[in-house]
Amino acid sequence: MKNSLPDLRAERDWSQGDLAEKLGVSRQSVNAIETGKFDPSLPLAFKLARLFKQPIEAIFSEK
Amino acid sequence: MPLFCRKNLTPLQRRTMGLMSAAIILTILTNLTIPGLPNPLVDVFPGLARLTTPNGHSPVLLAGVLSAVSLLPILLAVWAAARYLKSEPDEFIRALVVRALLWGFAITMAGNTVAGVLMNIYARPFPLAILNADLFFVSTGFAFRLIQWSYR
Repeated sequence: MKNSLPDLRAERDWSQGDLAEKLGVSRQSVNAIETGKFDPSLPLAFKLARLFKQPIEAIFSEK
Repeated sequence: MPLFCRKNLTPLQRRTMGLMSAAIILTILTNLTIPGLPNPLVDVFPGLARLTTPNGHSPVLLAGVLSAVSLLPILLAVWAAARYLKSEPDEFIRALVVRALLWGFAITMAGNTVAGVLMNIYARPFPLAILNADLFFVSTGFAFRLIQWSYR
């Protein structure tokens, strides 16, 4: 799955560690999601959507 | 910094690592109760050999107790892993741990199968079958590090 997390993060000047802290997950989790190696669960995707104030489909899209 | 590095462990991970370490120590201790395996304790205290194998054979009750004792570290490890997986909030780490545990089980079962075939062919006991817990802990640990490395 593709995602725009690196761009959204860059807009806010957040590091992977900052985003991980806001989500309550490890930095490795954020890295794995951003690189498309790990697909987040629905609750985590909703958490990301709420955090970035964007709909889920604006953050994640099928390859 | 890698996951499960002492510096960045969460309290839950720290507790689980402690329990797993206890299970590993218990495994080593229970290995020392198994007659027939190389046992440094028997070398230091030769009298222990007569306690576990009087007349060359373990009494039925003692054999039953020894076999039940060897089960303890496995039960402790499974309980600790289940407790950890139930409470770990990070789904990515949970997925890594589940995969590592599956690899650990797979390698242990594969080792047992090979040991079983060898026991059948050579008609003699092969110690790997009673070192299941050791094999499981070592293979799970290696599998976790390898899986973690694959996500870099």
